[in-house]
Amino acid sequence: MIETEIAIVGAGPAGLAAACESAQVGSKVIVFDENNHPGGQLVKQIHKFFGSKEHLAGVRGIDIGKKLYKRALSLGVEVRLGTVVWGYFENQLAVVFNNQVEVVSAKKIIVATGALENTLSFPGWTLPGIMGAGGAQTLMNLYRILPGKKVLMVGAGNVGLIIAYQLLQAGAEVIAVVEAAPKIGGYKVHADKILRNGVPILTGHTVKEALGKERVEKVIIAQVRSDFSIIPETEREIDADTICLAVGLTPLTELLWLMECEMRYESDLGGFIPVRNKNMETSISGIYIAGDVAGIEEASIAMEEGRIAGIAAAESLGHIISDKARMIKNRAEESLLQLRLNPSFAPRMTEKNKTNNGIIKNSQIEILNRNGSIPIIECNECIPCNPCETVCLFGCIQVGTTITNLPLLNLDKCTGCGQCVLACPGLAIFLLDRNYSKDEAAITLPYEFLPLPKKGEKVIALDRNGSKVCEGEVLNVILTKKGDRTALVKIAIPKEHADKVRSIKTTRLDSGKEGEN
Amino acid sequence: MRITIHPILGLLKERKKITIEIDGQKIEALEGEPIAAALWNAGIRDFRYTRKRKEPRGFFCGIGLCTDCKMIVNGIPNIRTCVTLVEKGMKIQRQRD
Amino acid sequence: MDNSKNEQGKLVCRCEEVTEEEVRQAIKDGAKTLREIKMITRAGMGLCQGRSCSKIISLILAEETGISIDKIEPAGYRPPLRPIAISALAKAKKKIGKKLKYKFSSAYNE
Repeated sequence: MIETEIAIVGAGPAGLAAACESAQVGSKVIVFDENNHPGGQLVKQIHKFFGSKEHLAGVRGIDIGKKLYKRALSLGVEVRLGTVVWGYFENQLAVVFNNQVEVVSAKKIIVATGALENTLSFPGWTLPGIMGAGGAQTLMNLYRILPGKKVLMVGAGNVGLIIAYQLLQAGAEVIAVVEAAPKIGGYKVHADKILRNGVPILTGHTVKEALGKERVEKVIIAQVRSDFSIIPETEREIDADTICLAVGLTPLTELLWLMECEMRYESDLGGFIPVRNKNMETSISGIYIAGDVAGIEEASIAMEEGRIAGIAAAESLGHIISDKARMIKNRAEESLLQLRLNPSFAPRMTEKNKTNNGIIKNSQIEILNRNGSIPIIECNECIPCNPCETVCLFGCIQVGTTITNLPLLNLDKCTGCGQCVLACPGLAIFLLDRNYSKDEAAITLPYEFLPLPKKGEKVIALDRNGSKVCEGEVLNVILTKKGDRTALVKIAIPKEHADKVRSIKTTRLDSGKEGEN
Repeated sequence: MRITIHPILGLLKERKKITIEIDGQKIEALEGEPIAAALWNAGIRDFRYTRKRKEPRGFFCGIGLCTDCKMIVNGIPNIRTCVTLVEKGMKIQRQRD
Repeated sequence: MDNSKNEQGKLVCRCEEVTEEEVRQAIKDGAKTLREIKMITRAGMGLCQGRSCSKIISLILAEETGISIDKIEPAGYRPPLRPIAISALAKAKKKIGKKLKYKFSSAYNE
């Protein structure tokens, strides 16, 4: 018999945040996770997170996971990995570890089991090489194995867009992203990152069939109508050895059904979720939920919900007085409000948006007679995110307390240092020096691929859709610790292309990867 | 194919290599990785064959939920290879149920 | 390209190899819940216990019958939630034997 005050199922961001919060006020906490590693999905998120400073915006998911785990351990939380929670009998969890079954007696239980990927069935979908996008992400980011060489991504939500980018970073070719809906579902900045590297996003398209003898070899895509039915004669056959399905997530609520919690269907949140109150407590007293199991949202939201569940559980055990608990819950709830603001598009920048004192709203700057590099912030979607504001030492970028505001740039104090370029999780900021030389402009790009270009090297300069515009020469490459693995690559290009070039392709043959087989 | 150097994850740290066997074929694996990863790295895509259609199946969800990756490991069937770590000398066989 | 396998019918249940056609037929034959579809076709009975197929089958059921998707509940959950060796359960009989009696069939009572 394992005894504890609070048993937490799932050592992902929600579970670990709940563990930290409750342990900090003296609760005895054990976290169970069926995986052999802590951190849940965070261990695969190699990109920088959005949000604000409290949400660890600008920090890569993998590092957030490590921080949380370390903090939990330092607070005396016991984390039992490789331990599966398989049953619930008479208020006790049944677990198994190395074929050894144990029963857990806990006063409070927090279920933070996350989600599972949806599937999309089409003829041939069972061929090896067709996998969940998360599965591909697990292979490359956790196990360091290339899922495939020619990949088709299905689904242009954030998961599909982010993993398509990560596939490029791992060295795969991403043929295209297909999306049945007429619009891209994910953030524009995530879409831009892959578009400018030559990955087309085909909206209004789906996979019709996958073909292959023992593994996928070809895929047939086709256009769809608004009711998602296939339009005849629009089929196209593409060579592919991998198809990633990024078609949504569903809360992994099995344990909660077993516990007989009251459930409710919420289509926006991925399906059936437990009914719960503001304390994240389900209809069963003493059982709490947090994270994706409570509704598919983001890691930062998972952490805040975990905090609420953790402190509420601790409060019900008497470890913290109501007033103090209320303060912590209020802070988390305010944070959740900010994080849940809907992304929406800002109106296109017009002449009216420019003011006389030099404050210029983001995006394209038509004519500016100024020497030196200035930031071009290609961020015109209101998502909760403000690392650009936080990082600027001279206060040039303003987002404000509503973190979904678009960044406003004040060029008066800008030194062209490029910190904003490095800090932007969406890699949406560039530095542009229109008057670098008589005939050339210089543009500084954030770069996260290998091989890193070298000073003096000739590269191919691409536009926002990944098409070749011209040749460029690498002027400088800066990779510092502060940049956290994002490099600044400055290239010289013909002046007339200054507003088009937003990416490069190196022409060197060595890929820097060893052991190809 | 092993990603030995990655722009964000860096250089893959040296790890102990062990040998496991799949239907008589010896393959190299890294200590601490799941069986499915070692198989995928070795270019093996068919982990089992289905009962009715005799179709090859392999890696699908990667996190132990879909059970498509199940194989016989040291004589025990239905082992989810994506969440089971390799051990030296492991004998793995394809199921055909 | 040999796609003769695709001509056998599109699978919706990967584990038990149940086709979409079989599921639709079961619904035409009167199945109105995921549980009934499972009983007739075996879809959802395999090792993954419906994790890969239940959403797809829910959508087919909603489409065929007009039942609103929020009224289509899962076929039901019983322990164990993950594959577990009988030897592990047998070893633990003393710890959880009494509890399991209520959930598993009476054949366990030895």
